[in-house]
Amino acid sequence: MLASVGAGLLAASTTIAFVRTRGYDVPPEKAARLRNLSPWQYVVLSAVARRIAAPDVDDGSVPTADDVDVAGFLDGYLGNLPPDVRRDFLRLLAFVEHLAPLGCKLASRFTRLGPADQDRVLAALESSREGLLRGGFDGLKAMVFMGYYRDARTWKIPGYAGPFVSAKAT
Amino acid sequence: MVIRGRDLDGDITLDADAVVIGTGAGGGMALRELARAGLKVIALEEGGYHPPSDFTQREDEMLPLLFQDAGGRMTRDLAIRVLQGRGVGGSTIHNTNLCKRTPDDILDLWRDRYAVSGCGPREMRAAFEHVERDLSVTEIPAGLRNPNNEVLRVGAHELGWKAGPLKHNRVGCQLSGFCELGCAYDAKQNVAKVLVPQAEAAGATVYADVEALRVVHEKGRVAGVVAAAHDRLGGPRAWVHVRARTVVLAASAVGSAALALKSNVPDPFNQIGRSLRIHPGAVAAGRFDRLMNSQYGIPQSYECTELLSFEEGSDARVWIVPAFAHPIGTASLLPGFGKEHMRAMRTYGNLAVLTAMVHDETEGRVTVSSDAAGRPTIDYIMNDADRRQLAKGLIACARLLFAGGAVEVVIPGIPPVRLTSPSELDGLRTDFVRPHGVPITAVHPMGTMRMGDDPRRAVVDSRGEHHFLKGLFVADGSLFPTSLGGPPQISIYAFALHLAKHVIERARTV
Repeated sequence: MLASVGAGLLAASTTIAFVRTRGYDVPPEKAARLRNLSPWQYVVLSAVARRIAAPDVDDGSVPTADDVDVAGFLDGYLGNLPPDVRRDFLRLLAFVEHLAPLGCKLASRFTRLGPADQDRVLAALESSREGLLRGGFDGLKAMVFMGYYRDARTWKIPGYAGPFVSAKAT
Repeated sequence: MVIRGRDLDGDITLDADAVVIGTGAGGGMALRELARAGLKVIALEEGGYHPPSDFTQREDEMLPLLFQDAGGRMTRDLAIRVLQGRGVGGSTIHNTNLCKRTPDDILDLWRDRYAVSGCGPREMRAAFEHVERDLSVTEIPAGLRNPNNEVLRVGAHELGWKAGPLKHNRVGCQLSGFCELGCAYDAKQNVAKVLVPQAEAAGATVYADVEALRVVHEKGRVAGVVAAAHDRLGGPRAWVHVRARTVVLAASAVGSAALALKSNVPDPFNQIGRSLRIHPGAVAAGRFDRLMNSQYGIPQSYECTELLSFEEGSDARVWIVPAFAHPIGTASLLPGFGKEHMRAMRTYGNLAVLTAMVHDETEGRVTVSSDAAGRPTIDYIMNDADRRQLAKGLIACARLLFAGGAVEVVIPGIPPVRLTSPSELDGLRTDFVRPHGVPITAVHPMGTMRMGDDPRRAVVDSRGEHHFLKGLFVADGSLFPTSLGGPPQISIYAFALHLAKHVIERARTV
């Protein structure tokens, strides 16, 4: 039951996304390089990544999701996923952009909300009563952190030394 | 010889005495044994063939290389992440080398309740001993125990709980701690290092990048396999037809059942894909006031069995071991997001993590999608008893962490359980474990084509051969009638070895 309600919501958001894909600005050279995301999906994923991997300090010492281009990395990474999983991920982006804000009584696209409201939307998704949406959020979070903590510039946050193999040739 | 499907120039048709599908613990063992018996045997592996130099110790690169669905395989309701290997060596490439025999109580249970004959403790002993010699299994000495494992030892000692060191199959370990991403130092005594070379020496051929699509059968007998070779990007490259009168399924409890279903293998009692067990597990993280560096050293060298009994219906069905991850895996499990999450990530070096895995009684199911792809779908919703077990296990993990010196313990979830004193555990309700309530991971799928002599309850007989399709054998964790309550690799290796004589006998008589 949960799965079917969640799946219905995700499918509905895909339909909406078909008609509301304008107003998303991506530099032409960037848009031309996208392999799995459309420009509007790239913008949504970038916005989500900005909040999920938001720095805990504002002094510029921590790379942002934009600095390490989380969405750009995930555009390529999506090619590793089976087609049905990739499709569900893209549906979830549409849901976050168009329907999830309504659940917080916010009549705006996710990408046009301020950071605090975006955090409200994501928090609502994280604790949604719909199991499929919570599971979807967990997947989105895992993907964003994959894109973020893969970059050596972020390793100072956990104090991680990185792989040994570059130093220890095999 | 290992041939990469990506290098094939065109469609091929092969003849063999037997074909093994999958090259994990079960498939690798079956392949070697059949080749050593003088049979012409071919293995088909859907993943790639990767030398240790491919293992870069980077999560973002190794997840797509070594795991099904790039590590993103989930149950249908997205509540449980199911991590499974792919590639020559299967899950033996990324596992942490834990070696435990199937408990005698479990073997007795299978004999008494599931009509499994000839596989009792006495009959299996030789196979276990053989496998342990093959894989150089030894106990991890105390001097090589890393801080995360030492926390478990100290915690169990302080609480007076049952615990002890574990055995592993590793030789020449460099203590890097990157085991779950493949060993760049080739220190794992796994299928790719040990069994595949031995099978090659005996004349076997392994086709990597070749996905079995269908087992061909006619008139109640196996006739071969239809497979597809993939190119470097996973796209179709060539058809591979194998004519063989004996087929061994060893593609994991998910893959073997899915292939049997796609192949319309006879199933008059609707048993294929049922009785899936997965050892669902979740974690508790302890923060220490000293640097732990839990990511280095040998993972999972110590266990706590205080809450583990193998009696059916027992109220103690939890196995506890350390479980540490690299930053991406850790970030996925820590609760929340944004600034608060990043603050938590700054404590990474001070964390120790324990996992509670349930010796589960929930019965899940593997089916396949109805579209042309026929992808496996995993349905598994933990029953109330197993949820209570997991909650008990997580609370026990928290007690162990505090007893081991943690100053704070977090059980990730929605909402997370945050504790600063073990006394807070006394009043903790156990209903926080519910679908999507805590992040659950499963790494041990078992039991979708279980063995037993009653064809109404088992897919294959006690020789591993399908009850209704002669020449079709199973040699992986699908065989197990119940959960094991511990790491499955030695059980899978040993059962594949033990049953291989029956496969050889069948292959020689057709």
